Amino acid sequence: MDFLRNNSLKIAVVLLRVVLGAIFIYAGYVKLEQPWQLFAAGIAEYEIVPLWAATFLARTLPAFEMLLGLMLVIGRWSRTSTVIMSGLLVVFFSLMVRAFAQGKDISCGCFGPNETISWKTLLRDGSMLAGSIVLTVMAFCNRRTTV
Amino acid sequence: MKILALALALLLPCVAAGPEVDKNRTMGNPSAPLMFELYSDFMCPHCKLLHENILPSIILDYVKTGKAYLIFREYPLQIPQHVYSRPAAALAVAAGRVGKYQAASDALFKQQNSWGMTGKLWDAVAPVLTPDEQTKVKALSQDPTILAEVQKDVDRGMAAMVNETPTLMITYKLKQQPWSKWADYSFFRSYVDGLLKK
Repeated sequence: MDFLRNNSLKIAVVLLRVVLGAIFIYAGYVKLEQPWQLFAAGIAEYEIVPLWAATFLARTLPAFEMLLGLMLVIGRWSRTSTVIMSGLLVVFFSLMVRAFAQGKDISCGCFGPNETISWKTLLRDGSMLAGSIVLTVMAFCNRRTTV
Repeated sequence: MKILALALALLLPCVAAGPEVDKNRTMGNPSAPLMFELYSDFMCPHCKLLHENILPSIILDYVKTGKAYLIFREYPLQIPQHVYSRPAAALAVAAGRVGKYQAASDALFKQQNSWGMTGKLWDAVAPVLTPDEQTKVKALSQDPTILAEVQKDVDRGMAAMVNETPTLMITYKLKQQPWSKWADYSFFRSYVDGLLKK
């Protein structure tokens, strides 16, 4: 794609990739610092998955987020990592919108336990989703360039 | 050696006393391995749910069994919707001075929906007090020392980074962990039981 030949755009894409990757590493790290049970209880507050699934997610998701973030920062397997990240963010964002629309006064669980879902958190996660979709499109449009 | 022994003897009362608190607002054995400090707001609906549905399990599993010492901390949120939170906290603390903290807080949570609209806190608390206690509590609720006690709890919570209610501050072996997720009691129990095994 011609538009990826533009250096400024390439730099912007790399920056976006590193920023999103760093955010995911941080999000995973913050959760790993907390007891997994606290994150599991946070997942249970959404009332979407059964308790065993909340337990499974709480024990695996933080490490997975960190790994995904790392893949994105180093720029390896860009297609795989951006697709997975976009998929995860679609799920996270949809759940947050659903909880917000239902008037649930719960924590989003994005960066630790104490962040109630609000317009602010929706805007932040929505922006992350938009950024991730851009990276995914770029990764598929440019076979040769490491984006 | 003598100096060390003297220093230990002097420090012992400080360690045994733990955090400064009115004994009427505590439950269990002060020397229990765990310390739970429950920060709540009488106008908060989640605090009502915790008080009525989960707290009895916490008391049964950890306080009555001697595993935890429970301290009730007032944490009236300073938001426009919670206009009666601080007077309610003061009233409960005042009731605590006549040994009726639990009865008063039970009554306040039970009738939260009614006094939360009208502000008639006294109507909720008065029935759990004898006429003599009513006179004392009414006077005490305006006492500056009661208001200062409420503020002391708020300051303590703010210092501990409590930013939502209800939050249970779990202290074990000098390490603190705030807990504010109450969707399912089993996760809390799993965490606390895990701590006790360490």
